[in-house]
Amino acid sequence: MDQTLAPQQPSPSGISSAGSSPSDGLPPADAQGVQPPTSEAHRFGPLAPPLLSSPLERFSEIRPAVLDRVVSRTMEDFSHASVDLLLGEALYQERVRIKRGGDGGFLRGRTKKDLRVLSQVQSGLLRPPGQADRQEHLKSLISHFADEIGGRFDPRVYRFATNILPIFFNWLLNAASLQQFNPSKQSDLIHSQLIINGEIDHLRALTQKGTILLVPTHQSNIDSVLIGFITYLLRLPPFAYGAGLNLFNNPVLSFFMSNLGAYTVDRRKANAVYKQTLKNYSTAILQQGIHSIFFPGGGRSRSGAIESKLKLGLLGTALEAQTENLIAGAEKPHVYVVPMVMSYHFVLEAASLIEDYLADAGKHRFIITDDESFQPTKIARFFWRFFSEHSKITVRIGRPLDVFGNFVDLEGRSVGPNGTTIDPRSWLTTRGVLSRNPQRDREYTHALGSRIVERFHRENTVLSSHLVAFSYFEALREKYPHLDLYRFLRLSLAQRTLPVETFLASADRFRTAVLERARRGELHGCPELADGDLGTASFHGERVLPAWVREGVRQLGQLHDAAVVQVHGDEVFTEDMTLLYYYRNRLAGYGLSIRAGELKGQLQGAHDRNGFLA
Amino acid sequence: MTETDFWRKSRVAVIGGGSWGSVLAQLAASHVEEVRLWVRDEAQARALNATRVNAKYAPGMTLAPQIRAMSEPERALAIDEGGVGAVIWSLPSSVAREQARAFARFLSGKEVILHATKGVEAGSLKRISEVLSEELPCSRIGVLSGPNLALEVARGEPAAAVVASNFDEVIEAGQQLFSTPQFRVYSSSDMVGVEWAGTLKNILAIAAGALDALGLGWNARAMLMTRGLAEMVRFGVAMGAQTQTFLGLAGMGDLMATCGSSLSRNYRVGAGLARGEPLEQVLAELGATAEGVRTARIVHEFASERGISMPICQGVFQLLSGQADVRQTLAELMGRPQVPEF
Repeated sequence: MDQTLAPQQPSPSGISSAGSSPSDGLPPADAQGVQPPTSEAHRFGPLAPPLLSSPLERFSEIRPAVLDRVVSRTMEDFSHASVDLLLGEALYQERVRIKRGGDGGFLRGRTKKDLRVLSQVQSGLLRPPGQADRQEHLKSLISHFADEIGGRFDPRVYRFATNILPIFFNWLLNAASLQQFNPSKQSDLIHSQLIINGEIDHLRALTQKGTILLVPTHQSNIDSVLIGFITYLLRLPPFAYGAGLNLFNNPVLSFFMSNLGAYTVDRRKANAVYKQTLKNYSTAILQQGIHSIFFPGGGRSRSGAIESKLKLGLLGTALEAQTENLIAGAEKPHVYVVPMVMSYHFVLEAASLIEDYLADAGKHRFIITDDESFQPTKIARFFWRFFSEHSKITVRIGRPLDVFGNFVDLEGRSVGPNGTTIDPRSWLTTRGVLSRNPQRDREYTHALGSRIVERFHRENTVLSSHLVAFSYFEALREKYPHLDLYRFLRLSLAQRTLPVETFLASADRFRTAVLERARRGELHGCPELADGDLGTASFHGERVLPAWVREGVRQLGQLHDAAVVQVHGDEVFTEDMTLLYYYRNRLAGYGLSIRAGELKGQLQGAHDRNGFLA
Repeated sequence: MTETDFWRKSRVAVIGGGSWGSVLAQLAASHVEEVRLWVRDEAQARALNATRVNAKYAPGMTLAPQIRAMSEPERALAIDEGGVGAVIWSLPSSVAREQARAFARFLSGKEVILHATKGVEAGSLKRISEVLSEELPCSRIGVLSGPNLALEVARGEPAAAVVASNFDEVIEAGQQLFSTPQFRVYSSSDMVGVEWAGTLKNILAIAAGALDALGLGWNARAMLMTRGLAEMVRFGVAMGAQTQTFLGLAGMGDLMATCGSSLSRNYRVGAGLARGEPLEQVLAELGATAEGVRTARIVHEFASERGISMPICQGVFQLLSGQADVRQTLAELMGRPQVPEF
C-alpha cells in the first residue's frame, strides 16, 4: 500500500509536510513516491515572520551595482558581434512588437519608454559611424532593458504584505465559509485546503547552504500569488520572482510585485539584446545569493499538460552563476534547483489556454493579456470558491537538484551513482581548468532541463478530478478509436454521452493504473484515490458513485460555466469537450492513454497518431 | 594550454585487456605520459608487464613503454596520484554495468569516458553510454567505433574510426588520443547512431560467415550487406539515430570490414554454424566473446515487439537458437513476398 495514498492523518495545522528528514544527511532513497508517513506535522503560524534572512533584503543597496554588472557583462557578451546588425534587428523586432500592440492600461507607460529609447537608438544608427558611437547606443539599449527587468525589494512592503495577506485570506475564509470569527479555526481551514508536501525541510536546509532556484510548473496566473503565499507559509526567506510583464498590468499586483523582488520578464521581447540582458540579470542575482523563482516552461501550460519543453536559456543561468561563483571562490557558490508542482482542480483561464493551444498548436504563440485571470470578478470568484467549496490545492516541493540535475543531500552535496559524491568543480573542469565552456554548459543545461521535466512528472499529484476527466475522455475515445483530435472534439452531445457503467469501468481501470504508477514512484496520487469504494449499483434508480468519482466530478473545473463532466441518471456527458481535453491532459505524458503504446521514445509532450497528447 | 600539451602531460586508463583494449592502449601511448591498462587478473598483468606482449589477445604487438598493466581498479585509475584524464572503456557489454559499479568510486567526475564496446545491455536495451552514465559519477561520455579489426590496427595498417559524443571536448579527446599517421579519427554528434550501428552489424557478421561457409559468392554477400544495412537503419531510426550515421564508418564501414573478414569473431560463429557445428562448440573454440550472439536475440525480440521489419536478423536468431539450419533460413528469406526496395 502506497503511503502517499493512505488517508492523511489530520494534523494540527492541516499542512501535511511529508516527514522526510532522514538523519544520515542523505536524501531519502527515491523509492519513488513512497513517502514516509507524516511523522511530524509542521505548524506554520500564519503571522510568524520568516525565520531566515535573505540577501534580497538589502537589494535596494546593491541594485545599482547589480545593474551595472549586467550592463557591462552584456556588452562583453556582444563584443564580437556586429553592433549595427544587432541593433538593427532589435529595433525591427521591437517596432513590430509595438505595432502589433496589445498593451493597454498600465503597460502603456512602459511602451512609451521603450519607444523613446528606440527612437534615440534609431536616429543614432542613421548617422555615419564616425558621428555616433555604436557601442554607446548598444549600451543605452541594454541599460534600458536592464532597468526594466530589474526588480525592487522594499522590506516595508514585504512586511506589510506578509501581515496583510493572512488577514485578507482569513477574511475571505470567514466570509465564504460563514464561520464565526475564530482565529484558530480559520487557520485550520486555510491549511486543510492548501496541502503542501514533499521536501520542505530539505528546501529550508538548503536555503542556508547556497542559493535556491525554485522552478514551478505553471498553469495559471494565480500561481504567482500562490507561490508567494506558500514561501511565506513555509517561512522561507523572500524570493526574487521572474514575473511575466502581463502581471504588471494590474496596478495593485504591479505595486506588490515590483516591490517584493519580482523582476520583469517580457516574453514578447524576442530580440537578442533583451534576452541576453535578461539572462545576465538572472545570473547576477543568483550570484548575489538571492533565491529566485521562475517558471521554466516560459508561459502557462496551454494544453493543461505538465511542461515537457523548457526554456533552457534562462535555466542555464543557474549553471552560469555557480560556475562564476566557483571561479571567484565565493563562500556559498552552489545553486540548487528545486522543482515544485502545483495541482489544481480548476484553472481559472483554462478555456482561453486550451483554445490558444488548439488554434495554434506548434505554431507561433501570442501572449494572452486579457483572459479570465485578468478579470477581477473572476479572480474574486476563484478565491471565493477556493475557500467556500473546499477545493483543495495540492503543492509538492520536489527533491532538490544541483545545476546538472543530480540529486543533492541535506548538506547540499551532489549525489552520484553507487555511493559517490560529485564535486561540481570536477564537472566544470575541462582539460584541467575550472572554466566556463559554452558547448559543454549547453549540454549540461539540456540534461538539467530533461531532468526537471522528468521530476515534474514524478512529483505531480494526481487529483480525483484529473482522473475523472481522463477516464471519461479515454472511455469516449475507445468508442471512436479512429477519430483524430479535431474531429473527436466536435462530437455532438448525443455522441459524447456514455453509459455511466462504461465510464465507471474506465475510471476504475485508470485508478488501478495510477495507483500502480504511484507505487513505482512515477507520480503521486491524492489520498482520496486510495479508497477502493466501487459505489453501489442502481438503487431506486439512483446510481451511487464511488466516493472519489463523486468528489472528482464535483471538483472538476467547478468554476466554469459549462459542466466539464456531468453524471445524470445512467448517463455521463460533458458540456465542453475542449475544457475536458484540457483537464484530461494533466495525465498526459505517462503513457496511460489508449494509443500511447504505439509510441516509441519519450512520452512527455508526445502526440499519438491521432494527434492526442499521449 | 593547448589540447596536445594537456594530453601529453596526462595519464589515461584503459579498462579491459582484450585485443581492442590493448590496441587502444598502444594508440594512446604515443600521446600521453602514461597509460594504465586494467586487466582482470594479477597474473595476466604481471605477464604483460614482464613480456611487453599480450600473448593471448594481441600477439606480435610489443607494448609501448608508457603502458603499465595492473589489476586493481584504484591503481588503474590512479586515485591517489591525481587521477586520470580519460578512461577508455573496452569491456564486453555483458559486464558493463557490473564493472562500472566496481569502478565508480575511484572516479572524480572530471574524467572523459570513451567506450569502445559494440553491444547493448540485454533486457533494458540500454546503450553502453547510458549504462556508464547511470553507474559512474561522470557526465562526459563518448563512443569510439568503426571498421577496426584489432589485429590489422595492431600491425599498423591504415584505418579510420569515428568518435561520437554530446560533448565537443570528448570528441576532441578521442581525436587527440587515438590519431596516428596510420589511424584517422572522425567526429560525430550522433551517439545513438554510432552505438547502435556497432551493435547491429555484429548480427549481420554472423550471417556473412554462414553465407561464406556455404561457398556463396559476391552477389550473395552484397545482397546480405545492403539489405542488412536497410534493417540497421530501420532499427536505428526507431531508437532515435540519424540515417546518415549508418552510411558512415560505424555503419557501412564496420559492416564491410566485419562481413568480409574471417578475423571477426561473429563471422567465425556464423561459419561454424554453417558447417553444422553446435553453437556451444563454436563458442568454446572461439575462446572470446562474440557480441552478435547476444545481440541477435535482444534485437529480434525488440523488433518483433515494435513491428520493425528485420527478416535477416530474425533469420540469424533462428539459426542461433537451432530452429533452422543455414540452407532453410536462406530459402525462407529468398522466398519472402516481393517488396519495394525502400
